[in-house]
Amino acid sequence: MGINTLILTVLALPLFGALINGVFGKRLPKIVVGSIATIVMFIAFALALTIFSSLHDSVKVHLYEFVNFESFKLNFSLQVDALSIWMTLIITGVGSLIHLFSMGYMSHDKGYYKFFTYLNVFVFSMLILVLGSNYFMLFFGWEGVGICSYLLIGFHFSDLKKGVANSVAARKAFIMNRIGDLALLIGLFLILAQFGTLEYTELADKILVEKINPSKWMMFGITICLFIGATGKSAQIPLFTWLPDAMAGPTPVSALIHAATMVTAGIFLVVRSNFMFELPGADLTKEIMLYVGLATSLVAAFIAMRQNDIKKVLAYSTVSQLGFIFVSLGMGGYVAAMFHVTTHAFFKALLFLGSGSVIHAMSDEQDIRQMGGLKKYIPITHITFLIGTLAIAGFPFLSGFFSKDEILAHALSHNIVVYILLAFSALLTAIYMFRLYFVVFHGKFRGTDEVKHHLHESPLNMTLPLMVLAVLSVIGGVLNIPSLFGEGMAHWMTHFLEHTTLGLSAIEHLHLSNGQVIMLMTSASVLTLIALVVSYIVYVKKESTPASDDKITGWVKLSANKLYFDEIYNFLFVKPLEILSSFGNKFIEVTLLNKSVYGFANLIGKSGELVRKWQTGIVSSYILWMVFGIVGLVVYYIIIKK
Amino acid sequence: MELILIPLVVAILACFVPKQMLKYFSLAGAIASLVVVSVHALAYCGSSHFVTLIDPGFITAFGLSFKMAYDGMSLFMLVLTSLIFLLIVLSNFNNETASSKKFVAMIFLMLFALNGVFTSMDGMVFYIFWEITLIPVFLIALWYGAENRKKALMKFFIYTFIGSLAMLLSLIAIKVNAASFAHSDLMAVELSSKAAFWIMGGFFLAFAIKAPIFPFHTWQPDTYTVSPMAGTMLLSALMLKMALYGMVRWMIPLAPEAMEFMLPIIVVLSLIGIVYTAILAIKGDDIKRIFAFASISHVGLIAAGIMLFNKDALSAAFLQMFNHSLVAIGLFLAAGILEQRLNTRNLYEMGGIAKLAPKFGFWFAVIGFASVSVPFSSGFIGEFLLLKELYEYKWIVGLLAGTTLVFGAVYTLRAYQLSMFGPAKIESFIDLSWNEWLVFFVLGIVVLALGLFPQIVFDFVGPSIENLMESVELSKNIVK
Repeated sequence: MGINTLILTVLALPLFGALINGVFGKRLPKIVVGSIATIVMFIAFALALTIFSSLHDSVKVHLYEFVNFESFKLNFSLQVDALSIWMTLIITGVGSLIHLFSMGYMSHDKGYYKFFTYLNVFVFSMLILVLGSNYFMLFFGWEGVGICSYLLIGFHFSDLKKGVANSVAARKAFIMNRIGDLALLIGLFLILAQFGTLEYTELADKILVEKINPSKWMMFGITICLFIGATGKSAQIPLFTWLPDAMAGPTPVSALIHAATMVTAGIFLVVRSNFMFELPGADLTKEIMLYVGLATSLVAAFIAMRQNDIKKVLAYSTVSQLGFIFVSLGMGGYVAAMFHVTTHAFFKALLFLGSGSVIHAMSDEQDIRQMGGLKKYIPITHITFLIGTLAIAGFPFLSGFFSKDEILAHALSHNIVVYILLAFSALLTAIYMFRLYFVVFHGKFRGTDEVKHHLHESPLNMTLPLMVLAVLSVIGGVLNIPSLFGEGMAHWMTHFLEHTTLGLSAIEHLHLSNGQVIMLMTSASVLTLIALVVSYIVYVKKESTPASDDKITGWVKLSANKLYFDEIYNFLFVKPLEILSSFGNKFIEVTLLNKSVYGFANLIGKSGELVRKWQTGIVSSYILWMVFGIVGLVVYYIIIKK
Repeated sequence: MELILIPLVVAILACFVPKQMLKYFSLAGAIASLVVVSVHALAYCGSSHFVTLIDPGFITAFGLSFKMAYDGMSLFMLVLTSLIFLLIVLSNFNNETASSKKFVAMIFLMLFALNGVFTSMDGMVFYIFWEITLIPVFLIALWYGAENRKKALMKFFIYTFIGSLAMLLSLIAIKVNAASFAHSDLMAVELSSKAAFWIMGGFFLAFAIKAPIFPFHTWQPDTYTVSPMAGTMLLSALMLKMALYGMVRWMIPLAPEAMEFMLPIIVVLSLIGIVYTAILAIKGDDIKRIFAFASISHVGLIAAGIMLFNKDALSAAFLQMFNHSLVAIGLFLAAGILEQRLNTRNLYEMGGIAKLAPKFGFWFAVIGFASVSVPFSSGFIGEFLLLKELYEYKWIVGLLAGTTLVFGAVYTLRAYQLSMFGPAKIESFIDLSWNEWLVFFVLGIVVLALGLFPQIVFDFVGPSIENLMESVELSKNIVK
């Protein structure tokens, strides 16, 4: 099979799965439904691997035109190059593991077939997003994953306890994303107005080869719009508050959509557009991106310190890690960003699935204050979760260690203050992750006896994905190790991505001496170890557990209450809009506009009444009026007209 | 000829068909209309010339030419009308009204008048058909509407009457200098910019009221809410398209001299409508009223696009008109189903229905998503293109109009969520009947097809749009 057929098959497989399950799923047994959805994912992954191994050139696959105007075209076409195929591998690879996990996790759910249909549609949309050859395709997939995310967050909409909250969370996610989408749309219009095309290759040609150089403000406008769009999907300040709420969805959804894939769409967008972000004018956007990413990383890490819902901790950690990646993008570290996206997909999917396994064992309890000492009840989950924790905390030589280090290296050569703040954020990450790990798996069990009675390790179809992801989380760093560890494998990912990705090869590398690399790695390791020791002492030796909500004060309260972001947004945006709407409905529509219409009707009515008064039916009064009339005419013609 | 006459014949025959056969008869009539129109459309596809339906070749003393003809744009509207009409008949199939003679006669009279409106090539004939459409919707609302309908209908009548009057004055004013009321003759008239302003203003008042465009909209939510489901559908999915079509065919070509002055005014009014009514739709508890506001918001975008009067914008506007009709049918069918089975339009008295009636929940969601223009739906591309055109006109216009992306999601999801999600407040809810399901299914298919292959629409209307624009340019140049 040629690359064209292969890539189209990869794209079609999840759609095929969704169609089968969507139409017939209700009548099929669960095992069939789950198997279909999962198998299409594995086949897609295998095919993507084939393409990956034989990829020499960037290939464009053109299908047809959505819109074929004289002034511009909107193509349905795909772009197969290193970047898109890399994302495809992550999506289908991590995706198939999560599908497998879901078969066990969702086995008691009534909406089983619906769940897998949505999941497959999500993968399809995500593939469109990354494989499309132009910004319109990207926007197409972008909106598509938004809907799937909405449907899956609100999946348990009829739940008696949480049904309303779930659907509110889903709506919040969709609307916040739409705000970002509007900016992205404007960005697309700007690109179209400036360059007359949305095709990546044509744009790259115009910028890199023809050296078209638009005005600085234009480039700032385009890139800032793209970035604002990215803040929506990738949950950055100010549009990040939807992501923690999105944890209302089933846990595999959090793993796939809200950690490993969809939330990296914004990062993908920036990497895809790298040639635009390197033009004069875009440097301001990059600066903004850097500081927004940094602020997000710190704020989210701070909030994660005192969250007591196992999934909320992981959600804020996702936001924080994404912030980390944006810092990297802000410094032009596109490959470093993709590296961290990759390792993050491994360990964050692992952590979420692990938390799913914990929640499964805990009879759907998510509060870590009810857990404790779980390591002896669910050993596989425990070990894999520990590996995930170590990986994200940056424990030496695990995947997160290398990918974080590369970003820190960029920061160090960029600005020492940024480096220090970023390192601090990494330290916080290590602290809250170890807190989470120790509180959940060590100490004594704090839940009810009934829950304790039901504690059990998950079945193999759930633990197998955990084990695979754990292995990847350990070795993932090999993908892009510094040359310090031998030249053979060094910077493999850099070379791979640069090879066929538009624009990337034009970007300068960061060159660090071996000494600097060792210094960086040592300091990072020391910080992680400090966090580990401190957390161990606090949560294991002293056996302190998180306090209940009414007993907290000071910064702990601020952290636990998420810095009151929701309340502030509510006060600033939601309430005024609602008041405006009520005002419009009650005052403008009814009083102002309605009254004027009825006023007009009344005027006609009143004037009728006025005329009616004259028609008294009394002959003498008619004669009187006639006389008045004649007199009037006479006066007019004889006296005035003369 | 059969294009226009079939509905009239059906309307007349309906008075003699036995009651129990009536609904099948009306369904057959609707299908026949659609088939005939489709045959015409297939034969026409891709050309740009006018196909004459009536041209007696003489002009009466009053200036009537009786000309009727269609081009791609007219034919597109005819396809839209007959398809939507069939869906209206189908969604109403199991209601009492479907077996009522006067009801069936009235809706087919409506179809007749609509077909007339879209094929008139004579100003006075256009005006007459335009006025005829008022009778069926008014009577249907009066006969079968909700309790407090009289006041609302009064308002509706006053509004449209004033609008029609203004249009009539404009027509007469322009005819004074023309050989006849024929479209081509009226177009040839040279106008001073002042005269053009008044003439375009007159047309605009009529169209702005019927569409409706802010601030001429206050009749609409009231009338929509008191009308029975079929009436609301006729109003929103079909009748208001006359106004948009009228802008393209009559208002702008007849007085293009006024564009320079009127363009910003109308765009701004449309823009205010887009944002303002979207904000209104965010609150409120009457589901039909929310969808009525949503309709105004969407129409504002189309109207603004039409005013730009370039090929791309007009093409997108036609696509979006189709989309708007599809979505309107779907939303008002959903609202009608809820109202009928729950006896309330209040969102806060609903809830949890998605679980009780999963089929309904699914299809309502599909239409809801189509309404917020998600990918794979016809609105996605239509909205994208219209916003792009507005953006190129003035960036701030595009940006503000774009807020519909956000607000649309807010009010649609809110309405859906309050009615369908959460714990159920009632014990049972009858799921979709076959005819309701079929309507949703057809809507879904068409929305999807246009979402994936919008170029079909552009290829169909494109040449005729070019044709129209050329002749407008030509008549403008003569003036210069």
